[in-house]
Amino acid sequence: MTTASIKIHLRDLGMTFDGKGNGTSIRVFERITLEAREGEFVCIVGPSGCGKTTLLNIIAGFVKATEGDVLIDGSPVHGPDRRRVFIFQECGIFPWLTVEQNIGFGIMDRSRREQKEHIDHYITMVGLTGFGNAYPSELSGGMRQRVEIARALVSNPDVLYMDEPFGALDYFTRLRMRAELISIWEREKKTILFVTHDVEEAVQLADRVVVMSRRPATIRTVIDVRLPRPRDLDSLHYIEVRNKIFEAMGLDHSGLGVHEKSPAPL
Amino acid sequence: MKKRLEVLLLPLLVVFLFVSVWHIAVKVSGSEIFPTPVEAIAGIAELFRYGVLFKYIVASLFRVSIGFLLALIIGIPAGLLIGWFSRAFYAFNPIIQVLRPISPIAWIPVAILWFGLSDLAPIFLIFLSSLFPILTATMAAVQNIQLVYLRAASNFGVRGLALFKKIILPATMPQIITGVRLALGVAWLVVVAAEMIAVNSGLGYLIIDARNAGKRYDLVVAGMILIGAIGLCLDLLIRRLQRLDEVRWGFQSMMQ
Amino acid sequence: MSKQLKIFLTVIGVVAVIGILHFWLNVGFNKSGISNSGNVAEEATFRVGFLPVTCHLTCPVTDWINTNMVGHGFYEPVRFSGWPELKEAFLSGNLPATFMLAPMAMALRQQGVPVKIVYLGHRDGTALMVHKDSKIYTFKDLRGKKIAVPNRFSNQRLIIYRGLRENEMTINDVTLLEMPPPDMPAALYSKSVDAIISGEPFMGQTEMDGYGRVLYQAKQLWPNFISCVLVVHEGVIKEHPQWVQQLVDGIAKSGKWLDAGMEHRMEASEAVATKYYHQDPRLLRFVLSKPPDRVTYSNLALAKNDFEKIADIAMEAGVLSGPISFDEYADTTFSSKTHDTQPYSWSPTQ
Repeated sequence: MTTASIKIHLRDLGMTFDGKGNGTSIRVFERITLEAREGEFVCIVGPSGCGKTTLLNIIAGFVKATEGDVLIDGSPVHGPDRRRVFIFQECGIFPWLTVEQNIGFGIMDRSRREQKEHIDHYITMVGLTGFGNAYPSELSGGMRQRVEIARALVSNPDVLYMDEPFGALDYFTRLRMRAELISIWEREKKTILFVTHDVEEAVQLADRVVVMSRRPATIRTVIDVRLPRPRDLDSLHYIEVRNKIFEAMGLDHSGLGVHEKSPAPL
Repeated sequence: MKKRLEVLLLPLLVVFLFVSVWHIAVKVSGSEIFPTPVEAIAGIAELFRYGVLFKYIVASLFRVSIGFLLALIIGIPAGLLIGWFSRAFYAFNPIIQVLRPISPIAWIPVAILWFGLSDLAPIFLIFLSSLFPILTATMAAVQNIQLVYLRAASNFGVRGLALFKKIILPATMPQIITGVRLALGVAWLVVVAAEMIAVNSGLGYLIIDARNAGKRYDLVVAGMILIGAIGLCLDLLIRRLQRLDEVRWGFQSMMQ
Repeated sequence: MSKQLKIFLTVIGVVAVIGILHFWLNVGFNKSGISNSGNVAEEATFRVGFLPVTCHLTCPVTDWINTNMVGHGFYEPVRFSGWPELKEAFLSGNLPATFMLAPMAMALRQQGVPVKIVYLGHRDGTALMVHKDSKIYTFKDLRGKKIAVPNRFSNQRLIIYRGLRENEMTINDVTLLEMPPPDMPAALYSKSVDAIISGEPFMGQTEMDGYGRVLYQAKQLWPNFISCVLVVHEGVIKEHPQWVQQLVDGIAKSGKWLDAGMEHRMEASEAVATKYYHQDPRLLRFVLSKPPDRVTYSNLALAKNDFEKIADIAMEAGVLSGPISFDEYADTTFSSKTHDTQPYSWSPTQ
């Protein structure tokens, strides 16, 4: 690990949703304190309903936390910012725009020539050459997700927030998207906060994995994944890290529904 | 190819059956008042010969298109604003919901008292009847915009007028078009009632005029056929909007 | 962007074309089209409302004769399809003058509308019809039957009250239904009602088409029967008395002209049916000739006596809420100058 500066600092975050009318309020998470270094790839895992998405929405500035603050480069976050782009679980590209128009959405204030260059560059990078004039509804799920990643990258943000971006994809597409994401990340060196419920995915991608507990969630532990990339999914070290996460989540990994491969013996 | 043939032939078959039943029913009942399909078609031919067919169609289309266009110009922006700003919604929604279910026929006296004897009165009725479907569809569409589009927009710093232009309007367009299509249907539906007011042209007027003319129910039915056929054409035309690239996504059931 | 512009331009273009066609086809040749607010100041656009019934025949006939004699009429006859629309147009100030049911005019006056009756529209011209298969032969046979009347403010409804009174029956012995006269023939044909009563030609139509039978002509139940009168706004009387006089004179002249010979009536039937009423001319020819006194157009000056009879029954029928004096709703100034009026000296064959 390099000793880069702290990019994102979560200070004692807590979140309570007001119950709508009936007076019952929901305590989503509490006492979340975490630091992410510049250029670091951090995955957040936890059981469903533990508030991972809410946490990411707060960090991105879409939702206000009830307690604590989010500091980016030392200053508090008051709202969304184009320097930090969010990639949505339910696919946030605009269906009424073409692939090119979607990718160019974040840089509409630039000159036409510059736009064109950037768009072409990222279309090629995410492997969508020839689909520039297609509409999202004509694309597969994986292609749409790549459009969204390209749209995020084109405005050259410091940080990417990714909320289970590959959740809706089929198994093989998911594997390929992970590999492509890693190669993009290695080239562009963005700070990435990546929410997933898939432990395998977290181990494959992250520098560090943050494990959250059930609601009201806290950070149970943070696990360093010191594995060289590209990662060998069958290596002993990999399985060791994976099982450590399962343990931290208080689960026997064989009972985890998201686990598609047949469970390896401990 | 086979499917296409079916799509064309099956409805024609049903129409043929319907017309046959109509013809036989008139013949069997021996009615001297209700026309047979042949007499109704002859009625249309007669209107054509007298040179009023085209005139009446133009008159009705004129009133409907002006009233409908006004409803679009007012209904869509108002619907966007009322749907977006919750204060506007609290303020205006109750009165909209009260006015919405009032039949245009009930507005006839008001239209005459306000607009007197001119094209304005039927245009007003058509405007009113098409305004509410457009307004409510637009309002609902804004309120149902997927949060993810708004968040993505705010992530890229889009707000204010640009937010309306770049996100809210295109995101709601499919639902608005559905409302607009419904509204055009209603506008055309109301043309008969709207032309009961002392105008002297139009397909609605034709029906009322034929009632005044004694035993000319062939012309009444001819008017009905014309209104139905033109209504179908208008719907087919407006349906083409749904095939535009920018809105097609909203009419595909499987987006994922 | 260019696609949106294209759709926008197409829509604007199509609407513009329709608009131009509409003004060319439906408005351009016909000055009645779009002009709106009460142009009472301009004499050329004075409008007079009428329904396509024989009770209002003098309205189109006066216009027709003037158009033929001097090239243009002095008012614009505006045809309506029903009483409510006509009444509302009059109330809105868009019609300075109109033909109207006498009790309706009296009731409007009582409700505070500044309306004055200035002349009669006709005498008689109403029949009580039953289906030819029915067993109804006298008024008493109507007991328990459904009778369609044109409007609650119509004298046709009052004539039923009068008939009931003379036959020692009450309103509870019959069921009255309000129905627009054009719908009455079909209702009688399908026997949805047992009897219908309204102004001609809708009654004559059932006779001509062979399923209606005259139970009574109006005069058998109510001599010198009046259904419709000519009314004007009080403001118009004040500001344009000479026009009102011209109108009353015109109605008087064409009325006398219509009664001056059967050939006049036949010519008028043809012209009015095709140009103003849009009806089969045979229908008007039938009701204006079989018999010739089915409806008459002479003797149209206002007489207090006629109206007091109407007011009497109108109160019983709930049309008037109380007594109302003749001078309040009628203005005889114009009518009194018509005694020596001669029929139009014009013949269509000239």
